[in-house]
Amino acid sequence: MLEIHDLTKRYGHVVALDGASFSVAPGRIVGFLGPNSAGKTTTMRAIFGLVRPDRGEVRWKGKPVGPEERARFGYMPEERGLYPKMKVGEELTYFAELSGMKGAAAKEAAAGWLGRLGLGDRADARLEELSHGNQQRVQLAAALVHDPELAVLDEPFSGLDPLGVESLAEMLVQTAATGVAVVFSSHQLDLVEDVCQDVVIIEHGTIVLAGVVEELKAASPRRSLEVTVNGDPWVPVLPSGTVTSKKDGRVRVLVDATVDLGEILAGARRVGEVTRFSFEPPSLTDLFLEAVSEVRGA
Amino acid sequence: MSGRWRRPWLVARREWDQRARSRAFVISTAISVLVVVALIVVPEMYGGGVKPTRIVGLVGESSSQLPSLLRAAGDRLGLTVKTRAFADEAAGQVALRLGDVSVLLVDQRALVWNAEADDQLGAIVASAVRAVDEEQAIAELGLTSGQAQRLLQPPELSSTSLEPATKDRSARAALGIIGMVLLFMAIAFYGGFLLVGIVEEKSSRVVEVLLSRLRPTELLAGKVLGIGLVGLAQFAVVAGLALVALRLSGNTLAPETTPSTIGWVLFWFVLGYGFYSVLYATAGSLVSRQEEAQSIQFPVTAVLLAGYLFAFTAADSPDGVAALVGSLVPPTALMVMIVRIAQGAVPWWQIVLSVALMVATVYGMVQLAGRIYAGAVLRIGRRVRLKEAWRGSEV
Repeated sequence: MLEIHDLTKRYGHVVALDGASFSVAPGRIVGFLGPNSAGKTTTMRAIFGLVRPDRGEVRWKGKPVGPEERARFGYMPEERGLYPKMKVGEELTYFAELSGMKGAAAKEAAAGWLGRLGLGDRADARLEELSHGNQQRVQLAAALVHDPELAVLDEPFSGLDPLGVESLAEMLVQTAATGVAVVFSSHQLDLVEDVCQDVVIIEHGTIVLAGVVEELKAASPRRSLEVTVNGDPWVPVLPSGTVTSKKDGRVRVLVDATVDLGEILAGARRVGEVTRFSFEPPSLTDLFLEAVSEVRGA
Repeated sequence: MSGRWRRPWLVARREWDQRARSRAFVISTAISVLVVVALIVVPEMYGGGVKPTRIVGLVGESSSQLPSLLRAAGDRLGLTVKTRAFADEAAGQVALRLGDVSVLLVDQRALVWNAEADDQLGAIVASAVRAVDEEQAIAELGLTSGQAQRLLQPPELSSTSLEPATKDRSARAALGIIGMVLLFMAIAFYGGFLLVGIVEEKSSRVVEVLLSRLRPTELLAGKVLGIGLVGLAQFAVVAGLALVALRLSGNTLAPETTPSTIGWVLFWFVLGYGFYSVLYATAGSLVSRQEEAQSIQFPVTAVLLAGYLFAFTAADSPDGVAALVGSLVPPTALMVMIVRIAQGAVPWWQIVLSVALMVATVYGMVQLAGRIYAGAVLRIGRRVRLKEAWRGSEV
């Protein structure tokens, strides 16, 4: 279990982290969300000792994290980069050794990862000779080559095409299935919704929402109401609610969970033929926007 | 290798593997060896051991013994002296103007030069003429061969020196300069190597992946060590082969102190690299782009260059106060000390003091540089100011 406890970090007058706390359990995939410069990268760097917090600490299995613990962590920074001129096999072996694996085991692990990535025959190719997508895969392998117990990935999906996104998502699910705690940041909320069991949302250095995605959705006092009416555009008349999208006669509204659905449906039918009427928990995007706007409004 | 040195050692091993196995490294080593060996062997093949030749033109009265006496006098002073007879002075002067002869001896009494008189050749001719005169005087006086021998017997003089032998003092001074220049070049070269290597890690962004696994000081120590070993190995291979070439070619131009001077150069390379590598590494950690690597290394190279130029001044008066101070102060010590050591005996306490100062300074600088490096190396983008790096140390 990784515990982020009360992390606070200031750079001059800029508050990067302001008492951020959350945890990541083994075998879980945690989506770490937040607007730009909310404190995601600073938090991840603090886990690896690359940022020294002014207050608070990072704990692993109940103990403060030091070099020994970090050797069992894997990190993929937002700024991608490996040695471009090194042979891929040697490069992965090198990173495995730096994380404490012995020579032969490190070599084996590197070869194993290249095999899993479908690059088994490219071990002697220089990194720069690989395609962009394959370089990204090697970057991920560099973070995971030493079989870490915790994987921290900063924006792992950025810059990937849909196929790359899919294969990376699958790899993360497989990794977590072996008991690894996985935490990654992303701006692609629909993707996070698909891949993650847990979510942590940060804004202005403070955690504004954290928990199991499905539970958060269910516990939300809001519901997503989607109505499509054939005929004149339907204008919802509701005591409360925000229209989130409106397209080709389809209207999506965030409403209180307690609204009278019968009344709304009747109102819509007066306008035209109702071809779609759905009432569901809010999406992760809804939760995110709500959580972030609450902080910004305050 | 285990414990706290394991990770720096892995970093150093990677530097060694990537650089020492590269084609560029093999080629540059081969070229250096060729150049150095050629410098030793070629002068030996063309002119090494061959004495310069002078031709004396003879006009008018001239003893039949003069040519052999001239040759003998020349031999004693390391010159091959030949003679050529001319029918008259005019013919001799033509040859003199054309440079066919070096000097014209008229009637064994007058020397005619083309322009500048050659004092050494003048003395040789004078001593040969004098020998002819003596022979003649002995014959005229009717001396017995015993009397003649007694008259001509050279005095027996004993010979001692106040200072150690300096028969090849200028050659040793030249050797010191060569060693110093090589040292300067090697440190600037491998220091630049290190700087580029550090900028590369920032520009390729691999540094953050590395620093999630090891401390900045471990990375810094490993890089300095790895590139230093590559440099030392290349330097030692070139120097070793130079010594072999020197031995095999029987080079007579190199002074006897050559092997020990080479040893000192390697020794001071280790210390000097220790000093300057820290400066180069610190400079490198401040920038993120290769284009900036040139300008950021300028201040460091300027310090090195100042030491280099100062060493030339010190070579002129190796026993002066300036040379003494310069050979103790770390930035200049490596180059000035080489020049002084090559030229003669430097008291051992000065060498010990100089080395101790150097080691202490390097130790202190590593602490400072480690902090600056740690504060700067993760700041990717614009050039980091020293003050920011100092304050911004996170790890």
